[in-house]
Amino acid sequence: MVTLELTFLLLVVGLAVGILLALGQVYGGKGLVLLSSTYEQIFRSIPALVLLFLFFFGSSFVGLNISAFLSAVLALGFRSSAYQSQIFRGAIQSISQGQMIAARSLGMSKFQAIRHIILPQALRLSLPPWSNEYSSVVKDTSLAYAVGVIELVREGRYIIVRTFEPMIIYITIAVIYFILTYAGNRSLGYLEEKLKIPGFETKSRKE
Amino acid sequence: MVKRKMGLILAVVVFTAVLLGSSVISPAAEKKVYIVASDISWPPFEWKDEAGNYVGFDLDVMREIAKLQGYEIEIVDIAFDSIIPGVVAGKYDIAASGFTITAKREEVIDFSGPYYSSDQAVLIRKDSGLNIGTVFSEGHKLGAQTGTTGADWIKTNLVEKGVKVELKLYETYPLAVLDLINKNIDAVIQDEPASRASAAKEKKRIEITGIIVTGEEFGFLVKDGDPYGLLPKINEGMLKLRASGEWDKLIAKYFGG
Repeated sequence: MVTLELTFLLLVVGLAVGILLALGQVYGGKGLVLLSSTYEQIFRSIPALVLLFLFFFGSSFVGLNISAFLSAVLALGFRSSAYQSQIFRGAIQSISQGQMIAARSLGMSKFQAIRHIILPQALRLSLPPWSNEYSSVVKDTSLAYAVGVIELVREGRYIIVRTFEPMIIYITIAVIYFILTYAGNRSLGYLEEKLKIPGFETKSRKE
Repeated sequence: MVKRKMGLILAVVVFTAVLLGSSVISPAAEKKVYIVASDISWPPFEWKDEAGNYVGFDLDVMREIAKLQGYEIEIVDIAFDSIIPGVVAGKYDIAASGFTITAKREEVIDFSGPYYSSDQAVLIRKDSGLNIGTVFSEGHKLGAQTGTTGADWIKTNLVEKGVKVELKLYETYPLAVLDLINKNIDAVIQDEPASRASAAKEKKRIEITGIIVTGEEFGFLVKDGDPYGLLPKINEGMLKLRASGEWDKLIAKYFGG
């Protein structure tokens, strides 16, 4: 249950921050590009476990007392946002610049063009790599036990300590993760099919 | 259509806020409740029973003292390695997790009076043909849990003295025991009560071949300087428990069998 909750929050945080980062990197001015690229580089370069410790223990040293759960959401969510930003950046850049120019010449503002023309296409294109990110986020949640979040693996350990049956428990945990990942990927695949733009592939090949 | 989409987005945002909110407010809001950190995977001192309750000697003592001394506690489970850093950082107010009182630890945190004394036990496989005299010789692989006195003992008394044994560290001691049973290591060094518990569970395959008398004492610990004045309350509580006979009952309950 905590694993599901954590996965959901990580994806939401990652999605929201990731899209903003991607937009910043593609359309931002010099400062914004530098800022979002630096953020993305930092969060992609630090191991997830180290990030967790930095957020959890580090927060106290700067006077914030955030719970284990929240620091896991922030650390792993920001990390995921850095990865997701690259998915969205790639998708945005795969949409030809002509569309932006056309939208602007029709009198749309840059924001309108992004909102109504670019993002609806880019987000659809992002779905396949995004389902990949989903799979890794589900499994990343298992690291949160290091700062005291009682998620699936930790629950399993309670039973192992009591019963000394590690193999059965670890196999059960593996099956649960498999189901979570498989169900998620299938749903995203279904969404992808539903939202497909007919003929988009041929259109995007060459203008 | 647009409205429905906005509704969906709103729902996601609200849901997210509620999930986050509940986790932010609960621990920090009231300071009457002291957070007790423990690595709940170390029977008989602390583990989670079938019903899902945190049980064990450390935790019962903590609960009894809190009751006697008139404060409330909340027990949280955290990996052993992270407990002292968490206490130092002010994340937890008390730690009760079978901590041996050492001078090194005392530098960064404060200990209560000792509440239990223990030695280190050496676990081996019954079919290994090894014993306490031969197990510490060259080429053998010895396992211990990271950050424990067992691991320290192997380091200072064998590795640093030039005995060519291999020290293998594990996240928890049941994993070390499992690796022993799987024949990947030759012995596990661990506090005696915990070793007795695992030897009893796996009595066909493993046994305690000997005890290393370290005479170490366990203490509860709090942040350096004891900012909430908890140590006097804990120490006094232990005295009261001993005086009332409750202490002996707990000892019998968890170490009797």
